[in-house]
Amino acid sequence: MLLLLAIRNLFRNTRRTLITVAAIAFGLGLVHTTITLQTGQYADMVRIGVSSLAGHVVVQAKGYQEEQDSDLVVTKESEVVDRLRATFPDAVVAPRLMLGGLLTSARGSVGVLLGGIDPQAEATVQDLDDKLKSGAWLSGDDDRGILVGVELAESLDVEVGDKVVYLGQHGEQTEMTSRLFRVAGIFRTGGAELDGFAAFAPISAVQEVFGTPDVANQVTLHLANPDDADAATEKVRAMFSDRADLEVLHWKEAISDIWGLIQVDKVAGDVELGILWIIVSMGVLNTVLMSALERTREFGVMLSLGMKPGRLAALILLEGATLGVIGSMLGVVVGLGLSWPLVEYGLDYSGFFGSDTFEAAGMALSSVVHGRIDPVRMASYTLVAIAFTTLAAVYPAWHVSRLRPVEAMHHV
Amino acid sequence: MSIVSVRGLTREYVQGSVTVHALRGVDLDIESGEFTALMGPSGSGKTTLLNQVGALDQPTAGKVVVDGRDLTSLSAGQLSDLRLHRLGFIFQSYNLIPVLSAMENAEFVLVLRGESKTERRRRVLDTFAAVGLTGLEHRRPNELSGGQQQRVAVARAIAGQPALVLADEPTANLDSKTAKELIELMESLNEKQGVTFVFATHDPQVMEAAHRVIRLVDGRIAEDKRK
Repeated sequence: MLLLLAIRNLFRNTRRTLITVAAIAFGLGLVHTTITLQTGQYADMVRIGVSSLAGHVVVQAKGYQEEQDSDLVVTKESEVVDRLRATFPDAVVAPRLMLGGLLTSARGSVGVLLGGIDPQAEATVQDLDDKLKSGAWLSGDDDRGILVGVELAESLDVEVGDKVVYLGQHGEQTEMTSRLFRVAGIFRTGGAELDGFAAFAPISAVQEVFGTPDVANQVTLHLANPDDADAATEKVRAMFSDRADLEVLHWKEAISDIWGLIQVDKVAGDVELGILWIIVSMGVLNTVLMSALERTREFGVMLSLGMKPGRLAALILLEGATLGVIGSMLGVVVGLGLSWPLVEYGLDYSGFFGSDTFEAAGMALSSVVHGRIDPVRMASYTLVAIAFTTLAAVYPAWHVSRLRPVEAMHHV
Repeated sequence: MSIVSVRGLTREYVQGSVTVHALRGVDLDIESGEFTALMGPSGSGKTTLLNQVGALDQPTAGKVVVDGRDLTSLSAGQLSDLRLHRLGFIFQSYNLIPVLSAMENAEFVLVLRGESKTERRRRVLDTFAAVGLTGLEHRRPNELSGGQQQRVAVARAIAGQPALVLADEPTANLDSKTAKELIELMESLNEKQGVTFVFATHDPQVMEAAHRVIRLVDGRIAEDKRK
């Protein structure tokens, strides 16, 4: 009977109720759309971060995460790679050796980060091969080939086929080591650091520069299904429990700065959405309070007939909750309706950024942001919306619970 | 046996700097099965007395015992329970819940009591037959005439078979013919079902039908006449 009364009471003033329901629905729809965009953006950041800076699971020398010192290496990297490939046949295993040094050409020199990579593996996990502006991707047979960023190529004034020399001092070396490379390809990612100061060469060549064979800073494991990362991390930790010199990181630990940035951004977003929701709840409070005040005499009658004040308060809370449920269900429909084109076609920011990429957290992200629906977050925000609208009815409920039958019945 | 026993009942209201003496030491006993009218000019204390007996208001002084329970010793929750289980109310302006049908209004008290749907329907349909509302069960109050609405209010008051029905000016908003029919209905319920009625009224028809007429003047019982 209470629910029946609550629903019928809400439709006593249909226009007022519909306006409030519309406010909830569009408010929640907007929240869902924002979350969809945000989730897509985060997924993009994580995808690029995981593929280019880490892996779903990362095996590296103990202390490398804090120090980022290229001298801290995984020894017997090929054995580590083989064991991982054997255990995770569907995954891609990519070893990386990152050295800091000087890249020189006949016309200039620039301080660079030289990445030693497995060309075949990296072509699978990164989209760097799709971003080649000229030249070709590294070939496993050519240990002289090097890929350079477009701005680095301009600084060095080199083109595909030109010679460059890498100079550096690493590991146990007491003198500077140099090695000749030939520009195999020039890439453009849109990221200033990558395009201006990064170069990639086969890991065997970079190991040669380092002066020690069979080493890498990281051996990264890229899973077919990122959701398996937790279990895979545990498995890899168990596999290498005999190697005290190694540490095994989950991708959230490996790119903790990016993950932390996402969490901070999420909290900031939640605060903004919370403020929006407080505003919507004020509208609900107004509707429920007005509706309650208009029925003071009726409440007096109900109390006279023996209804307990608590039950009367429950009726008002139920009215708030019913408004919330109806508005939120419509909000989900509105949210999905607005989110669908963002998921399907994406939102193109290129006009705003003036480029097809933009830089965030040191990574070049696409200017076309594709939304991604996060059902868990969507459901939790819907529940929060219902909770907020119910909470908005607490004051009116408290007000009616304090009514006295005689005074309420004489209320004008 | 007294269903209502009132001793030294005083009720004062403070309105600004003025103290209004609504009841000044009223003593009264009402027996079970009585059909009693409280009459008197406006401001004489009829409604105030009805509210006191109906456990709707607290006295300034004195004692009110209803159905064997001293109201001054009961908590707000216990007073609610007493109203719900032992008392029925009929108001001047019907005071039906507009969003409920005639039947839902009549079964409202039974819902609050937690009666089963089957039992509620059975009792309300019986009551509707007794008050002449059969066929109007699904109409909303705004689809009923004043007389029909007041019959629904009577049905709501008696469907729970209370020990006492308190009616505050139940015929005031009705034309004389409809009022007469309603009085006859309540008389019949009193005679056939033994329902105890106490009215606060100005209506000569009610006073004529009442078995006992208590006249209040300035918050005191000026006359208590049994027929």
